[in-house]
Amino acid sequence: MTQVDVRQRILSDNAAAATTLRERFAASRTLVLNLVSSPGSGKTTLLEATVRALAGRLRLGAIEGDIATERDADRLRALGIPAHQILTGGSCHLDARQVRGALEAHDLGPLDVLFIENVGNLVCPTSYDLGEDFKVALLSVTEGEDKPFKYPSIFAKAEVTVVTKADLLPYVSFRLDDVRAQVAALRPAGTLLVTSATTGRGIGEWCALLEQRLAAKRAAGA
Amino acid sequence: MHELNLATEIHRTCRATIDARGGGRLDVARVAIGELAAVEPELLVYAWEAVVAAGADAGARLEVEWHPARQTCPKCGEVKDREAGIWLRLCPECGRPLRVEGGDELDVIELSYTADGEEQAT
Repeated sequence: MTQVDVRQRILSDNAAAATTLRERFAASRTLVLNLVSSPGSGKTTLLEATVRALAGRLRLGAIEGDIATERDADRLRALGIPAHQILTGGSCHLDARQVRGALEAHDLGPLDVLFIENVGNLVCPTSYDLGEDFKVALLSVTEGEDKPFKYPSIFAKAEVTVVTKADLLPYVSFRLDDVRAQVAALRPAGTLLVTSATTGRGIGEWCALLEQRLAAKRAAGA
Repeated sequence: MHELNLATEIHRTCRATIDARGGGRLDVARVAIGELAAVEPELLVYAWEAVVAAGADAGARLEVEWHPARQTCPKCGEVKDREAGIWLRLCPECGRPLRVEGGDELDVIELSYTADGEEQAT
């Protein structure tokens, strides 16, 4: 029997595709976000509110990952932004090679910000780099306040955590301070925003964060 | 349930390594999995068994080396008394926010294989 030192990342093919994507996004000066959350926490609804708030100011586009249906891409196209749907057919996450293939097949045009909305899942998407500038984890108040510690990987890797459906806070047991403490323990330098697409709470802060990060990326790449 | 995808990638990496050295049968693959890698080691082993079952590497073992994440205090040093799966909100000694280090390992470390012709020779 022969023993061999391998020392290679398990997802090296995905990482290579992510590097290609990152170079492409650097060249096009596009800020790219990878949005991860459980199903139904409001990723597409946050994007709809973002499109409405930033209409005419930034060129936005989206890649939507879902197991089935074009529904999410349709919702965003209805607001006038280019959106491409990747149907994973059962796979629980997006792979960088799928994103690369989608962009090669469907040019979304010049963009300031590209949102990659991952398949609704708090676990599997965590491991896959998609060439994004940063990951965003969404947590709706109806999911319960224990989620960051129950799903530590995504909340540790997401630079920004967005609490959604804050308009429902009076009706659910969800202690924001506890969630803040959990997220801070997993990602001390991270940002936590509290939003409601219904009332508009926090949407201004979220859009300001996008504009700041876009300006920072362009200043660094200039 | 992305463990099947990971198991497939581990096997592909092992095959490429062995084939580059002239071919052979995989005996053991050793991987490092971090606590924050979002991977369940037991499911990874089940997925591995399914991936190798039908081919020439049937019976090859997957050994998982588990790497916990560390929560450390900038003032008191490493916090050692954290149980697996339990996260501390603040440093129990001084109440300061903790840093999270490591735990994102997702690597093929090494493998053992029997080279083609080796069994007949010995």
